[in-house]
Amino acid sequence: MHGADVPIRLLDLGTVAPLRSQTIYHAVGYAMTNGAPDTIMIVSPDAPYVSIGRHQDVDREVDRAVCADLGLSIIRREIGGGAVYLDGDQLFTQWIFAAERLPATVEARFTLYCDTLVQAYRALGIEAAYRPVNDIHVNGRKIGGTGAARMDRAEVVVGSLMFDFDIGTMARVLKVPSEKFRDKVHQTLSEYMTTMRRELGEAPDRQVVLDAYIAACSAALGRRIEPGTLRDDEIALAERLDERFGSLEWLEDGGGLRRAGVRIHEGVRVAEGATKARGGMIRCVAVIRDDTLDDVAFSGDFTARPADVPEGLAGTLVGCAVEENALHERVAAFYEQVRPETPGVTEHDWVTAILQATSTTVPA
Amino acid sequence: MTDVRGCNIPEDLYYWVEKHAWVRDDGSGEITVGITDVAQHLAARVVAITTKKVGKVLERGQSVATVESGKWVGPVPAPVDGEITAVNTDLAADPTLVNSDPYGAGWIVRIRPSSWDAQKDELAAGAPGVASYAAFLEAEGISCS
Repeated sequence: MHGADVPIRLLDLGTVAPLRSQTIYHAVGYAMTNGAPDTIMIVSPDAPYVSIGRHQDVDREVDRAVCADLGLSIIRREIGGGAVYLDGDQLFTQWIFAAERLPATVEARFTLYCDTLVQAYRALGIEAAYRPVNDIHVNGRKIGGTGAARMDRAEVVVGSLMFDFDIGTMARVLKVPSEKFRDKVHQTLSEYMTTMRRELGEAPDRQVVLDAYIAACSAALGRRIEPGTLRDDEIALAERLDERFGSLEWLEDGGGLRRAGVRIHEGVRVAEGATKARGGMIRCVAVIRDDTLDDVAFSGDFTARPADVPEGLAGTLVGCAVEENALHERVAAFYEQVRPETPGVTEHDWVTAILQATSTTVPA
Repeated sequence: MTDVRGCNIPEDLYYWVEKHAWVRDDGSGEITVGITDVAQHLAARVVAITTKKVGKVLERGQSVATVESGKWVGPVPAPVDGEITAVNTDLAADPTLVNSDPYGAGWIVRIRPSSWDAQKDELAAGAPGVASYAAFLEAEGISCS
């Protein structure tokens, strides 16, 4: 590939303001001129904030009042994906490369990019593995997130090395349909996300992590990586983008991406559905793992005797394939064994509520 | 259909090859714009598209829409100068139309060009256009299979 023999510029920016932690890689991407070096940028925000994906509706995805209470700014990025809580415990690893020097397909770019994170984690003693398309897992738990965008002549791929993650705040800032749902998101994040601190017992030294990452990048890309500095035009563009990305107009732009649920990682999502039965409304919050019910909870204004029917029924459904006949069999077996009184609520209604929740797709 | 390295590249369209954008001129004074089969293949399943609003006046190269697939976001550049006269509202409900039918139901915007006669020559067209697209895909090592 043309220019592949030119060293990659390494920009270790340390910590910067939340807004700048987003605008700076956009600026380097849009400022890339013909012949400019590829860049790997390392940066962390000096304060926590929330970032939303390019096409997300901020009011649908994020609880703006909670963010205001917590003093968290909300910043839309030009990268895809979902809302995420970001803070100084994450080391952002941003690639800004001439498009012709990365693989042509999105999937192949993610494969290359994720592999460098995987190799860095492994060098630190963490058994990370790549899970296509853009996840990195450690024993079934996701560590970090990734995203990408085209910015004029640059292809940009971003992600992070996770020292630690504040699951509680992440669960608080998301807009969710109910507190039960929020509890389930929190619980599922705890079960299916991990960090370097969790894997190693303590967070490793930043420089050690950075050295492992740069070595992994150099090996995977087959190129030298040399420290550099931002150009004046890149800084000037970042300042202009600070204005745009900090504006209400930009925050409230977008909105085409509908996420009926919260994706925890490639194989796990939390979703909610409801059905109006003759005997009342049944709400169902479900955790779906690889097309199987990992957890389920029912609530609503229906009547059931004994009182623990919702919990008992939910318990029998854990592990069931998300498939109508299989769900019917489990519910029927429960009714046969417990013989509950659920006036106006049939076996079919429970299955409908589950399918309402599980049939929703969470694209990113 | 013209098959080029597994990609469908019809001869009756204009192309901005490097940007993987197509243009259909139906002689009405307006053109239709979309992304090619190559683009939808490179991006994979599209989950969201945001178009600029009707009435927006753009220069060639400015973005008429952004496309998101699998956490990747990319622009759809205006192939010529002009004003957006219509957007494909069906894409809001089903953005995968650009995957399943990139040259038909997956069209993205219609534009009233301000200097079509001058700018159309900057686009690849007809059999030579398909040949230049094929050469580009060959040079970049891109295929749809």
